Amino acid sequence: MRKVLFFLLLVAMLIGVGTVAFAQDVTITFWHIQNTDPGPELIQQAVDRYMADNPGVTVEVVPMQNDPYKTRIRTAMGAGDPPCVFPSWGGGPLYEYVQAEQVIDLTDYMNADDYVSRFVPSSLSNVTFDGSMYGVPVENTAIAVFYYNKAIFEQFGLTPPTTWDELVAIAQTLIDNGVTPFSLANKTKWTSSMYYMYLVDRIAGPELFASTANRIGGSFEDPAFVQAGEMIQELVEMGAFIEGFNGLDYDTGQSRIPMYADEAAMELMGTWQISTYLAENPEFYEDKLGFFAFPAVEGGAGDPSNVVGTVGDNYYHISSTCANPDEAFAMIQYLIDDESVALRVEKGRIPPVVGVSAMLTDPVLQEVIKLVENAGAVQLWYDQYLPPELGEVHKDTMQALFGLELTPEEAAQNQEAALAEFFGS
Amino acid sequence: MATQIIPKRKAAAPRKWFTWDEYTLTIILFLLPSLLLMAVFVVYPILSSFHLSLFEWNGIDPVRTPVGLANWERLLQDDIFWRAFRNNLTVVALSIMFQMPMGMLLAIMMERGGRRFIFRVFKTVYFFPMLMSSVSIGILFKYIYDPSFGIINETLEAIGLEGQSWLGETNLALFAVVAVICWQYTPFYMILFLASLNSVSEDLRDAARIDGAREFQYYWYVALPLVRGTVRTAIILSLIGSLKYFDLIWVMTEGGPNNASELMATYMYKKAFPSFDMGYGSAVASALFIIVMILALSAFYFSRRLETEV
Repeated sequence: MRKVLFFLLLVAMLIGVGTVAFAQDVTITFWHIQNTDPGPELIQQAVDRYMADNPGVTVEVVPMQNDPYKTRIRTAMGAGDPPCVFPSWGGGPLYEYVQAEQVIDLTDYMNADDYVSRFVPSSLSNVTFDGSMYGVPVENTAIAVFYYNKAIFEQFGLTPPTTWDELVAIAQTLIDNGVTPFSLANKTKWTSSMYYMYLVDRIAGPELFASTANRIGGSFEDPAFVQAGEMIQELVEMGAFIEGFNGLDYDTGQSRIPMYADEAAMELMGTWQISTYLAENPEFYEDKLGFFAFPAVEGGAGDPSNVVGTVGDNYYHISSTCANPDEAFAMIQYLIDDESVALRVEKGRIPPVVGVSAMLTDPVLQEVIKLVENAGAVQLWYDQYLPPELGEVHKDTMQALFGLELTPEEAAQNQEAALAEFFGS
Repeated sequence: MATQIIPKRKAAAPRKWFTWDEYTLTIILFLLPSLLLMAVFVVYPILSSFHLSLFEWNGIDPVRTPVGLANWERLLQDDIFWRAFRNNLTVVALSIMFQMPMGMLLAIMMERGGRRFIFRVFKTVYFFPMLMSSVSIGILFKYIYDPSFGIINETLEAIGLEGQSWLGETNLALFAVVAVICWQYTPFYMILFLASLNSVSEDLRDAARIDGAREFQYYWYVALPLVRGTVRTAIILSLIGSLKYFDLIWVMTEGGPNNASELMATYMYKKAFPSFDMGYGSAVASALFIIVMILALSAFYFSRRLETEV
């Protein structure tokens, strides 16, 4: 009997201790994909400062790789066990989460103390649905620009083009001299989509795609989409793209190697590549790297100052199963407070906050931010804007279009058919 | 007719297929742990895939819409799936046609080389591809196949031939990856065949020699027939492996360009995950399971007379 009593007492004590411990200890799980330098450090310093200021809250930081993350977050959500805080690129995939009621509406948090005015307005459009905000823009500003090898341009007396015809003429000159005009790694598919997005924007303006993707009047069979396809295939037929581009992988650097080796002169790519150049080949960055904005298309209706890309690149969200959303939001705020912003700028990032341009010292980044600030509109990547199913169709279509396996008309019809099926009309 | 003087054996009771004796219980007890693991990680997921294939579900939504057999109807009319199926058959055919003879040739070479140092080195070297992870092999060969910088094109161009964009052309990509698959798996069959060749008794070789058989005749008429059971196992393994193949295709081409190297498994992954179409992805997975099951069982059935002890 004594033994039993003793045992019961012990159990009661353990339970008591456990409850007290749990009551004090709030744990926030936090997944992110900033796993290449300087990403982990940028995240960790903010989390450390948050935990120092908030004893009793433990933040469990889980860094992940980009592509495996996309699968893991979906599996976790499907199983009803997502992390408290997780990243996304906004757009269509985020909207899936919103509709599935897997993320918390952050509108009230964002409007408290006018916190929202801290951010560049265009950074919020990708996470705002039906007037509610679902994410905090943190990581970077990334737009697609043409990088070019200054040495090659100098050698053949070329200057950065301002119109598409000039760009085609440059390509012809380079081909005549045995240099590949454009490097492209299109196993990755979203890489070639950049040409298409820009051409459509230059030809017809951003409204066409918006009305098409949301099925409110626009259509992929609009002449602008077909014309963009034709202009791309013209370049492909000229031999303007690097040999075998449909089998080259962006993630293993197969589009950058030809640039480094002076065998290709240009590449259309996101501005995240600036820090990649800096890390992979500082000499190339110093001596040869130049860039120019996507040129205007003669007679096009689109404003040539428009850019394709994302302002905010990696937003953070709070899942609806999170037990401590207040703490989670406070933690996210540390990721983009003044100290974090200063550190990000120092590491070559452009955080999407108002007044960041004054803080930038790197001449290349200053040019980039000028393009963004002067942009009439920022078109989010199609594959992120569209619902995931359609994003995949778009990417597959791009690979086939560049591979000359679909005519521009067929490419347009393919995407239109997928859209019609998705919307059920 | 003489009377039966030998006492009749007591007729054995007709064996029931199942009795609750000690012996059966022991078997069950020993099998239980692995049966449990199989049930949780193999049987349940397979059944659950079949179940999911009856829904329209994006993989995250709490609500799944039952759609009956709509996903299966769509599958039957899906050109890309059938293209993937045909590609799988190509992989099966090429794998068996290349890996089996190559593996056997290498095994015979190794067996004849015996324990000499240089052959032991060869044996280790030939086994290297098996030891590397598929992902690193895939990345390695992406560079080897690189149209501008890869060693293959550089070599071809050096001897005056035209380089190809191996992974970028629709009519080449699948074959380019299959070549790497063969390179990776041949050593596995080499080891398998070598083990079974070694288990053939030395007496038989001596006997064959005394009868005047040449080496080639020994292998062709004596050794090969004795190890045909291993060859059969190897062919079935290769068949199943090729039908459910995923790794190198995913790393090297992701099924592209334009689905030219799509396999059933890569198509399943693409539908279930990047496209947020878990229902249809599950239908593809279940179809893959059915196809592999049918082909593997028929292979077992039609080759049963080839079974041997080694």
